[in-house]
Order: sequence, then C-alpha cells, then structure tokens
Amino acid sequence: MNYKLNTREADTIKEPIWVALARLVPLMRGEGGKVAIAFAAILMTSGLALAAPLIISHIIDSFITTKNYPGLFSWSGLLLALFLVGLVSSYVQTRTMGGVGRRILFNLRHAVFTKLQDLPVAFFNENRAGDLISRINNDTDKLNQFFAQALLQFLGNVFLIVGAGVLLLVLNVRLGAVALVPAALVLVITQLVAGWVKRASFKSLQTLGSMSGEIQESLANFKVIVAFNRLDYFRDKFRTANAANYAASIRAGIAGNIFIPLYALAAALGQLAVLAYGIGLVSTGQISIGLLIGFLFYVLNFYTPLRQLATIWASLQLALAGLDRISEVLALTSNLVTLPAEPATAAGPLLAFENVSFHYPGGRSVLRAVNFTLERGKTYALVGPTGGGKTTTASLMARLYDPAEGRITLDGRDIRTLTPEARAARIGFILQEPFLFTGTVRDNISYGDRAIAALSDAALTARLDAAGLSALLSRFDQGLDTPVSSAGDSMSLGQKQLIAFIRAALRQPDLLVLDEATANIDTVTEQLLGTILAQLPKTTTKVIIAHRLNTIDTADEIFFVNATSVTPAGSMQNAVKMLMDGMVTS
Amino acid sequence: MALFRPYRGWIALLVILTLVANSLNLLVPRLIAAAIDSIGLPGQSLQGTIVTFAAIAAGIFVLTYLQSIVQTYTSERVARDLRDQLVAKIAQQDFAYVQTTSPGKLLTNLTSDVDAIKSFVSQAIASIVSSAFLIVGASALLVLLNWRLALLVLAVVPVIAATFYYVLARVRRLFRKAQEAIDWLNKVINESILGSSLIRLLNAQAFEYDKFTAANEEAMTIGMQILKLFAALIPAITFCTNLATLGIVAFGGHLVMTGAMTLGDFTAFNSYLAILIFPIIVIGFMSNVVAQATASYDRIVKVLDAAEPTGVGRRVTDLSGALTVDHLSVRYGQRTIIDDVSFTARAGTRTAVIGPTAAGKTQLLYALTGLIEPDEGVVRYDGVALSEFDKQSLHRQIGLVFQDSVTFNLSLRENIAFSSDVDDATLEKAVNAAELDDFVATLPQGLDTIISERGTSLSGGQKQRVMLARALALNPVVLLLDDFTARVDLRTERQILANVRESYPGITLISVTQKIAPVEDYDQIILLMEGKVIAIGTHKELLAKSPEYVQIYASQQSTEDYELQA
Repeated sequence: MNYKLNTREADTIKEPIWVALARLVPLMRGEGGKVAIAFAAILMTSGLALAAPLIISHIIDSFITTKNYPGLFSWSGLLLALFLVGLVSSYVQTRTMGGVGRRILFNLRHAVFTKLQDLPVAFFNENRAGDLISRINNDTDKLNQFFAQALLQFLGNVFLIVGAGVLLLVLNVRLGAVALVPAALVLVITQLVAGWVKRASFKSLQTLGSMSGEIQESLANFKVIVAFNRLDYFRDKFRTANAANYAASIRAGIAGNIFIPLYALAAALGQLAVLAYGIGLVSTGQISIGLLIGFLFYVLNFYTPLRQLATIWASLQLALAGLDRISEVLALTSNLVTLPAEPATAAGPLLAFENVSFHYPGGRSVLRAVNFTLERGKTYALVGPTGGGKTTTASLMARLYDPAEGRITLDGRDIRTLTPEARAARIGFILQEPFLFTGTVRDNISYGDRAIAALSDAALTARLDAAGLSALLSRFDQGLDTPVSSAGDSMSLGQKQLIAFIRAALRQPDLLVLDEATANIDTVTEQLLGTILAQLPKTTTKVIIAHRLNTIDTADEIFFVNATSVTPAGSMQNAVKMLMDGMVTS
Repeated sequence: MALFRPYRGWIALLVILTLVANSLNLLVPRLIAAAIDSIGLPGQSLQGTIVTFAAIAAGIFVLTYLQSIVQTYTSERVARDLRDQLVAKIAQQDFAYVQTTSPGKLLTNLTSDVDAIKSFVSQAIASIVSSAFLIVGASALLVLLNWRLALLVLAVVPVIAATFYYVLARVRRLFRKAQEAIDWLNKVINESILGSSLIRLLNAQAFEYDKFTAANEEAMTIGMQILKLFAALIPAITFCTNLATLGIVAFGGHLVMTGAMTLGDFTAFNSYLAILIFPIIVIGFMSNVVAQATASYDRIVKVLDAAEPTGVGRRVTDLSGALTVDHLSVRYGQRTIIDDVSFTARAGTRTAVIGPTAAGKTQLLYALTGLIEPDEGVVRYDGVALSEFDKQSLHRQIGLVFQDSVTFNLSLRENIAFSSDVDDATLEKAVNAAELDDFVATLPQGLDTIISERGTSLSGGQKQRVMLARALALNPVVLLLDDFTARVDLRTERQILANVRESYPGITLISVTQKIAPVEDYDQIILLMEGKVIAIGTHKELLAKSPEYVQIYASQQSTEDYELQA
C-alpha cells in the first residue's frame, strides 16, 4: 500500500461543492431523527421569517390605509404569536443542528484518531511528522469552526434565500425578476473573479506557511544560530519571507475584500430596481402599496443572507478541503493484517528469517534472501557500517514492517499470525531515537501496560528492585515522579535512553532488541545495564546493535549486516576486521 | 498603544472612509420613504430619486471597497513591522533568553499574537467606529422621524445589549476552556504521531485511545455548553427585534391612521430598525477581538521590552586558543549543573571531558562558547574574560559540534558553510575532514541537495558528520566536540580524528566523549561527575590517582584488545 499522502493544496479541488457536501452524509449516521427535527425547525423559522413581511403588507393594505383599528390589533396579535413560535423554533433549530454538528465533529476526530492508531509505521515514515500534525490539527480545526458556527448559518441562509426568491417571483413575476437581476449579475461576477481570489489567497497562505516554517526552524535551533553567527542571516531570511507574505496578503486582501461591497451593492440595486419599477406598477394600480413595501422587505430578506453566505463560503470551502484531506487518511488501511493462527513449536529456534527480502517503498533493496536464526537465551550482536541495514533488520523482527518476500517466524510460526498484543508481550524493542510522553518517569515506564500502570508505588518499586533497575532511577531528580515533557531539552539523550531501557527491561520479553539503545550513556552506567540484562530470565534472547564494541562483547554470535546480506561474523576479531576493512562504508 | 503611532494617518483615513460610507447608508431608508410618499402625488418625478439612489449605492460600493483596502494595507503593515521588530529583538538576545522563554512561546508571539493585533486593526477599528456611528445615527434619525415611536423602538436596545453582554461574558470563559481542551487534544494527537513506532512496538494503541477519548469528550462537552448559550442568545435577540417591529406595526400603524406619520416614514422606521440591531451584535463580537488583541499586545510588549544581554563585549582579536576556566558554576533553578569547575587548556592542546550521563558535560561546552551565562566564575580566552569579546568574533573562532543533529531546510552547502564568509576551498577541506566526500559524491545534486527540516534523508551518522563539517568550515582556533562520534562507526571515527589533526594543526580541542581509548594520548582528561571536577590529568596520571577513572576505564577494557588490533 502506498502511504504517501497527497501534498496537493486545497485550491486544486475540482469537484463541485455538492459532491464534497455529500461526504458529510455518512458522518450523520444515527442522527436521522435529530437532523429531521432540525430541518423542520429551520423550515419553520425561515417560513415564519418570510411570512412576517406578507402579514405586514396585508396590515398596511387592509387596515392602515383604511383606518381599521380592530383589524390592526387582531393582526398584530397574530404577528406576536408568529414571533413567539419563531422564538421557540429558532432555539430548537440552533440547539439540535448545533448538537448534530458537534457530534459529527466528535465522530470525525474519533475516526481519524482510530485510523491513525491502526496504520503501520510505514505510514509515519512516508509522511513527515510535521506535515501530518499540521494536517490533522489544522484540518480538524477548520472543520471545528465550520461545524460549530458556519454549518447552521449556511443551512438557515440557504432556506431564507430560496424562500425569499420563490416568494418574490410568486408575488409578482415581473417585479420579482427585476429584484433578482442584480443577484444574477453578482453571481456571474463572483464566478469570474473566483479564480483570481482563490489564487491570491492560496499564495498568501503559502507565504504564511513558509514564513512560519522559517521562524519555527530558527527558534527551535537557536543555539546553532547563535553559535555559528547566523543571527543576521536568520534576520535577513525572515525579512524576505515577511515581505513576501506582506505583499501576498495585500494582494489577497484586495481580491478577497471585493465580495462584501459587491453584495451590498447588489442589495441596494435590488431595492432600487423594485422601487423604480414598483412605483410605476403601484401608480397604474397593478400592485398595492402594501405589496410594494412587502417586496422591499423580501429584497432585504433575500440579499442579507446572500451576503452572509458569501462571507461563510470561504470557511465552507476550507472545511470541505479539510474534509477531503482527512478523507484521504481515512481511506488508508493497514497492510499489517494478522493472518489466521498457525501451530507453534517451542522446539526449534526462537526466531528465524527465512529467505527474507526487503526494501522501502521506492527505495533500493536493503535485504535480499536473508536467512538466519536466533536461539533461545542467547545474545546476538548486529554490526555493520551506518546505513547498512541493522535497524531495518531489527525492525522486521518486531514486525514494524513486513518483508517483501520470505517470512519471519517466532516459535516456528509466521510472525504475521500473532496478534499485536501477543507480539508486543513477547518482543521488546528499544528504539534508536527514544521518545517520551508528557507526564512523569513513572508514566513513561508503565506506558502501554495496564498491569504495571495499576501497581502501587511500593509494588512498582519492588518490581524495579527485583529487576535491578532501581539504581537507574537515581539518575532522575525526583525518581519516579520526575516530570517529563515530550518536547524540549528537559532531559539529556542519555536520560531518555535510560527510561526507554527501564520500560523494556521491566516487561521481561522473550526477545529484547536494543538498537543503539545506549549510544549516549556513559560506560559505567552501561556496565550496570549489562548486569541488569544478565539478570533477565535465562531464556531471554537479546539482539544488540551498537557502535561501541564493549557494548557487544558479551554476544554469543555476531552478525555483520551490510550490502543486502546478514552474515555470521564468527568471532569478535573477525567482526572488527570486517568493520575496519570498511567493506562498503556508507 | 504607542505601537500604532506610525500608522496614525492610515487609521484616520480608515475612520473617515468608514464614517462617510455609513452616513450614505443612513440616507437610503429616507430615500425609499420619500419615493413611497411621492406615490399618487401629482407632478412628482421619480427620476431625481432614482439617480440619487444609484449614486449613493455606487458611492457606498466605492467607499466600502476603498475602506477594506486601506484596512488590509494598514493591518498587514502593522503585522509586518511588528514581526520585523520582534525578530530583530529576538536576534539580539542570547540563547539563554530563547531557552527560558521557550521557542514555542516566541513562535506564538510571532504568529497568533501578531494575528490578533492584525485582526484588531483590520476588523475592530472600522467595525466599532461604524457600529457606534450607526447606532447613534439611526437612533437620532428615528427620533427626528417620530420621537414617540422612536422611544418605543429604542426600548429594546438596552435589553438586547444586556442579554448580549451577559451571555458573552460567560461564553468568553468557555472559549478559553475550549481552547485549552483543543490544545490538550492536539498534544495527544501530536505525541501519538511522534511516538508512533513506540506505540506499535508496545501495542499501546488502547492507551492512546483512552487519552484521546477523554480529551475529545471534554472538547465536545465544552462545545455543547457554548452551544446552549448561543442557542438561547440568537433567538432572544431576534425576538427582541421582532417585538420592536411589532411596535412599529401596531403603534406606527396607529400614527399613520391618525395622520401623525406618513406611510413612507413607517417603512423607514422598519429599515432603520434593521440598521440599528446589527451594530449592537457587531460591537459585542468586537469586544472579543479587542480583549484578545489587548492580551496579545501585552505579550508582545513584554518581548520587545525584555532586557538585552548586559555588558556586550567589543573586543575583536585573533585568538591563540589558550583557555582558562575559573571557578565556574551554573545553576538551573535549585539544581547546580556545573559546580565550581576550574581547568586550563594551553593553545593547541587536546583535552577530553568524560563523565556519566547528566554530569553537566554539555552545559560546560555551552558555557565555553557563551551560549549560557555562568552564575559564578569566568571563562577566559588568552587571559581575557569571555564577556569582553564581541560574540560574533568569538563564534567565528570557536567551533561547537552539538550532540544532537540539527539540520536546516537548506542545501547541504548552506548547512555546512553556515557562516557567511566561507570560501569553496575551506568548505571542501571541511567536507573531506568530516569524511563526507564519498557521501556527497553519491548525491545527484552534490552539495546543492536540499536537506529536509528534520534531516530525515540522512542517517544518524551522516547528520553528525554534517555537524562536524559545519564547525570545521569556520577554520576554528578552538574546536568543541560533544560526544559527536556516538553514532559514527569505528573506522570512520578514527579516520575523522586523524583528518582533523592533519588538516587543522594547532587547533585547541575540547572533546566530550564516552570512550577513553581514542583520547588516551590527549594532553589532559577531565573527569566530571554531577557537575564537579573529580580529577584532571593525563591518562596515566588518572589511572594512578582516580578510582572513578579506573572504574570507567575498566568498564571499557574488555574491548581494548580489538581496539588495539584495529
């Protein structure tokens, strides 16, 4: 499966807006009743809003011009009753439709997050984390704004516009048509300038993006900027980006701001047309003066929501573009499916590579028809030059990826037949780049294991003591309660590696993979880690990747990984020789 | 707000355009009223009214568009200049300032805070002025038309305003809570993306799911609370407006019947009501924009007014490379990171610093380059205190290779020739010494290949070598290495160290490292533990006098045979 997400921008969406809107329908599942009530309420509210001018024009014609007081008061009473019903229905409308919007947003976020958790590591490697984060945060934020505010306005306005438009034509076709001419003109103009406006605002968003990127990169790496005298360079580059953004934003503003005056002009022209033509009709007796006044109301009823629609149109389009981008993520499926269970055998080796070939999407071959086995209770080392394939080989053991060809077995059983839960329980892996979650050291040690998370402090300390891990906790100011932040320099690389080590060792997996897990830890602490590893149950198989040779000198067997093959190096001397000969350095 | 002083002219123009456009707006209902009243009157020509109306409509269009252009222009200028000022200010600060203020906060200052000010200029100024004008103007015109009906209609205005401000005050609190909930939600999502490998290895998706659901539900609950308030607010305002309409119909109708008012004025009353209500709502929303802008303004001013590093040195001299560290102490809050450290390194000598995790080794290097200010003690180059030097001149002569690999979204050449004045020969020498030449040869565009922001296209070892080449390209007198070979294989490491000795003779080297073997022949080795110097001496001396050193040495002994063979 190709996990590379499309990086095209929002403005290239070609599909008509109705197709994009249809995407919202499945998200409303189970909301049928609520949606029906909301629609009924919207109809009622808009209907009442449209009925009022009719009643007022009737009052003018039938009672005011004839000085009929009882009629004036009884019909005013009717108007009051309508307004009261409108009060209730517009409350119901906002409440139910808003609720539906909120729940759609909740479901959407939920679906996206569940999907993210379901996708394999390959997905995260194919797409830069920064891009993914901004895609998901920004797009859900745009949808948030849309569902929380614009959706309601959008629906209400559409009803009002259609209703007022129909009424204008029904009341008097010719006068109605005259009233709508400016609207038609304005829509044509909108169509004509839409491309210009879109390009200008896209350009402005783009320059804004590169300016923020510039700032973010420089601020995050400020120490390098300072130490290498790049402050002037930083300032100049920023100034260029800032100036570009300024120019683009002004252009976008000039383009985008045309709409509101334009729609206001259309409304005024609509009124003017009705007045000019209508007065003629009144004087020739074709329509009543009350109807003319009613018509003027309807013109406003038609143009005011149209203007509002024009202002929320942009947010609607942004939301739909966001939905489109999120749908792209939702459409992906994991390629790491669990195959039907196979019988296992505890007799053979713990883990075996059988004719395994692997390459990254679109990349060159990393492993070609590789065979080797790992016996229970033994320690293995993987050595080889940078970029030779050590981490890839280890990642395949933990099924972060599946081989392109061949298979990997655990207890003689294809690793793909294990449930993720079973696999995680049996295979421990300490990653080259340690990652910590915001919380405490304790949270990070117990992370992902409910049994450990549920332990009392005393019980956890006892477990750590038994595993010999307590000594490592003294490297943290407040022991288990030391606060941890996922971002920033609050901890040294070595400390992060220690936490990752404790987390993995505490679980006592059958296979423990250490991928340069101690590269930034001093050698005395590292010896302590060696002792702790030795205390693991006799059956634990260990795989160690390291550049420092003393880290791997306890290995029972050494594999040399380079140039698509994994070869047993025999002795340590031989492994060192292979390294020093620099078979193929990266 | 002194910040706006340079834009006074533009803001005044904005206000004038707004006022004129809105005055024209107020004329429209009167024109309609006049037209309606003219019906049936003999000899009245409509033409004049129509021409005036059309002219006014065109005038409003031109003025509003002009106003919005001035608005855009002024607000974008304010934003651009503010950003420039902020960046210029930040560029004068030292690393410690950025670290304690946190890069994330500064980014917010430069983006959302500036945006809030921009919204203030682009929306709030014109909206508030025009709304106030419309409320006063429409009210005055109503009173002029018929003061009794006007009082009846205007009675709803305070009711609407009160309801609005009551709800808005409560909503504002909820908005803050909602933003916090969204921030939390985003944090959970971000960590689940950044930690995706770990989560899959530990099969911890359910953990993430629980964290996420809690955050998502919180966000929805707050959203529903906001909705509840708004669902009551908008119908309430509409209802109040409708009551005013009812008043016009009933009481106004009565007035028309008694001949106290014309039918045209009756229509005008309805139109002015529509003009009157909208500005009340706008002012309410704008009060939000103003509140946000005020908070952002305070934050921006705090950055702009922050004290700059004191005692900026002016001395620009060529260093010989002699280094003295005199009773240096660095504290982070309660914790002492570097505790009374003293040592001397003569020019052209090699010094190694070893010690356990979190011993303060990195901070020591930072203090040597002036990245962090010591709380006590002095660092001297050639006998002169570090603070007396011009920082730029100092940084041109001291190369620091950071432990973590930082690459920029620039070409490889720009990443290495990071200081402005590096010629091609110097660059090539640095690339060769860092053993990057083979790698560069494999790149299709060579040194002009763009490195992505997080350096994903390079392996760990390659990134570290880029960092080294960057420091060597300075042709430094003093080279500081922070555990730079942790991810470089053995053969390459040896080769690189040999290259540096050969190509950069006479360099003063301070190397933080984990491995003793490569530094055994160094002039001195400093053993650092918990910020204190435990021992200083040559390898032989330390073996004789420092049990801690012997312990570290012993921990690496098992592989010594292989190292020697190599």
